[in-house]
Amino acid sequence: MSDDRDPKDSWYDWAREQTDPRKASRKPEALDDLLVLDISYGNVGGLVCSSMLAELGAQVIRIEPPAGDVARDYSPFGLAHQGTGFGYLAEGRNKYHITLDLQKSASREIFATLAKHADVIIETYQPGVMDSWGLGYRQLREINPRLIYAALGTYGQFGPRARSGRPGSEISNQAYSGLVHINGEPEHLEPTEYGVPTKVGSWYGWYAEGMFAAYGILLALNFRTDTGKGQMVDVSGAECIMKFIDYNLSWFHMDGKVKNRLGNYDIAVFPYTFIRCQEGYTFLAAYNDEAFETLMEIIERPEMAQDPRFSSFQHRTTVENEEALQFLLEEWSLRYPVDEVIQRVQEAISKKEGRAAAVVTGKVTQPADVIQEQNWWDRGVFQKVNDPTYGELTLQGPAWKMSQTPPRLKWLCRPIGADNAFIYLKYLGLGSSQLAALKQEGVI
Amino acid sequence: MEEQSYFDWSDALFAVAKIFGKPEALKGVRVLELCTRVFGPVTADLLAEFGAEVIKIELPGVGDLMRYVAPRGFFWQNISPAFTHMNHNKYHVTIDIRTPEGGELLRALVAKSTVLIENFRAGSMDSWGVGYRDLSAVNPGLIYQANSGFGQWSVYKDRPSYDATSQAMSGFSAITGFPGRTPLKTGIWIGDCTGALFAAIGIMAALHHRRKTGQGQLLDVSQAEGLIRTLDWTWLYQTITQKERALYGNRDISCSPSGVFRSREGFIAIAALDDQQFAGLCRAMQRPELAADSRFSTVTARLAEDHNRALYKMVAEWAVALDAAEIEKLAESHGFAAQRVVNARDHYHDEHLRQRGAVCEFDDPLYGKVVEYGPGPKLSESPGRMRWLAKPVGFHNSYIFRTLLNLTEERLRQLTEKQVIGTWVDRVGAKPPDDWNGRDGIIQP
Repeated sequence: MSDDRDPKDSWYDWAREQTDPRKASRKPEALDDLLVLDISYGNVGGLVCSSMLAELGAQVIRIEPPAGDVARDYSPFGLAHQGTGFGYLAEGRNKYHITLDLQKSASREIFATLAKHADVIIETYQPGVMDSWGLGYRQLREINPRLIYAALGTYGQFGPRARSGRPGSEISNQAYSGLVHINGEPEHLEPTEYGVPTKVGSWYGWYAEGMFAAYGILLALNFRTDTGKGQMVDVSGAECIMKFIDYNLSWFHMDGKVKNRLGNYDIAVFPYTFIRCQEGYTFLAAYNDEAFETLMEIIERPEMAQDPRFSSFQHRTTVENEEALQFLLEEWSLRYPVDEVIQRVQEAISKKEGRAAAVVTGKVTQPADVIQEQNWWDRGVFQKVNDPTYGELTLQGPAWKMSQTPPRLKWLCRPIGADNAFIYLKYLGLGSSQLAALKQEGVI
Repeated sequence: MEEQSYFDWSDALFAVAKIFGKPEALKGVRVLELCTRVFGPVTADLLAEFGAEVIKIELPGVGDLMRYVAPRGFFWQNISPAFTHMNHNKYHVTIDIRTPEGGELLRALVAKSTVLIENFRAGSMDSWGVGYRDLSAVNPGLIYQANSGFGQWSVYKDRPSYDATSQAMSGFSAITGFPGRTPLKTGIWIGDCTGALFAAIGIMAALHHRRKTGQGQLLDVSQAEGLIRTLDWTWLYQTITQKERALYGNRDISCSPSGVFRSREGFIAIAALDDQQFAGLCRAMQRPELAADSRFSTVTARLAEDHNRALYKMVAEWAVALDAAEIEKLAESHGFAAQRVVNARDHYHDEHLRQRGAVCEFDDPLYGKVVEYGPGPKLSESPGRMRWLAKPVGFHNSYIFRTLLNLTEERLRQLTEKQVIGTWVDRVGAKPPDDWNGRDGIIQP
């Protein structure tokens, strides 16, 4: 029991000792027995999927057409670093980069040979395209029954809309999922540019798609360990985000209500909002009764905890009362710089226990400040990588801390076809003269 | 075989009607969920949908506080839709793990389980004598997933965190929304859910290692850190250019055109991801010459800020004169991406989503017909499936404790009297439907 433990042996120190990312390289990797072919094209979701597996130890061969994946060009303002856009650079990690032109039949034979060795294939072409090349799951499973074949897109590989021929995209995932509908400020009396359904700023449509694909692949891997059988994994990025749209569908079924966008208000919990302070904003929440009472003490309006408008969570979540509460909170918070608001909250809750301490805050932080935060560096959330090709760059590290098989960041990215010689020799026995011939034919 | 069209083949391969005739990916994986709110329960839910046996352990009486979060205070048959959507296929038991006898019950369950998921404040489980150090002694193969706001050993380890804390502190909010407006809190619990998905992926990787070596491990996942990982090129942009990523509303500055536009009726997402798709969009706009215009003829040219802005404006002016449905048809015939912004009602009636089981109707023994989003990835041989909804507090106590731990009715009664276990309090959110007959849904041990 904890009482017998040496007080010096704190959980935090122990957990840090066990999971510190700096010690990752001394430990084994969870997926180091997997060979993954990532043949995605124009879809960062595929890249995210193979990044997740590569961080956890899989050997990933990233296959691009000889001119490179168009996703190398997706970058803010079209900026490139040594010829590669920032989006691709962030998700090229730990992968071997080779080229192969699947438009050519000789290339398809080479791909099929690689597929015989592979545990996992990740592809993002329009549904049916790989199949029409003779490289779909129904053909490849004949030569490799253990193969796990993941196909990513917006509309999936089956069902009426899969046949429509309509391409998917990052923003289509967001729109079809229902996320855009409920995100943003409500329509104002006069139409405005900003009172509209609003996308989230990052490529969340692709990140959700890629992460769910990695999850599906690992589920299939567990099944294969049991049975020896491979399978196909069909991932719709839109449906992935739907899983995360809380009570959207159940509320409609149960109550006939459609969830609409409300800016920073919330119809299920309040206060649960961003508030304006001097020089910035912070998140502030206190939605159970005990925490709400604490919050009213913090803002020096204890009597408000008894106000009939705010005395229960049902009352606090009506539109008028949320607006009234928001006003009350900002009346107080505008008196202080944002850091002081946060400090006052932390001080107050350190004197409370249990549910009364559930006043929760967090500064709305600009990326430039996020990256300065020492805590994230200590935790390996940001890492500097000194790459032989791309130089020293800073990027986000793997999201997991694991005691036995920690993930790791090994290298950044590679130029187009940088690993052709190694990979084609290793898996196909093709030496330099044969590669030169294939290059001449435009196969690689 | 080759004569069958790809889509006839894939429709048959994934047919939803055959799901219950197929095996499950996580058969034999028992998961203990010691979680409240969203982050932890969603993690366990992702596993439960693929066949893991998830035992959700709540405090006796009131249970998971998420039971009382309800949209506009709405409860349906005494349960909240905000609670049901992340609690499927689970067994609901209660244990006060802070008591000595509760700790014993938990250890007995751990001895027979593969995974434990908790989302208490860092160090809480350890202080109650049931942390990873204690439980791995009982079961060295245990995969212990600790979910928290900032991780198990961060300088912020003592800070409570909700979803929006992570949105705020990760930079996620700072890059979402329109310039000059209040920073926007995203309308879903995106920090919780993204963290939960990371946790589920980590658990699967740890499970693969365990199957090779028999070894369990400790996993630590933070909401804020998960979101930071998903912010694409934000960090490279910041460090390479030393410029701050600003707000661009509904326009993507790293993929052009890609954004949300107003149509004559409703809003629509439109994108062209390569030159071929862009040429298609130009034809649909009846401006085929734009594809050859040097401002727009390559992906990189289209991303120059002036060009991207000009293009966004042109697409906006075109889209607003058409119905969203017309634009979607043009996207199909010309080969670019267009998708109407849809809501829950649209999903509910969407034939495509219904056929894919993405919108899934099933019969719950306690609540009757329910409709929820189905499993995320679709697996052809070991698909996920929806069985039942969340249940009242402690609903499966007798079944689980008697079958797994061999406890007698007499022992269960004693533990209930001591409030170590126990069923629901008489409160909406915790209790069964008012017209429940006392039998439906109960599993006989």
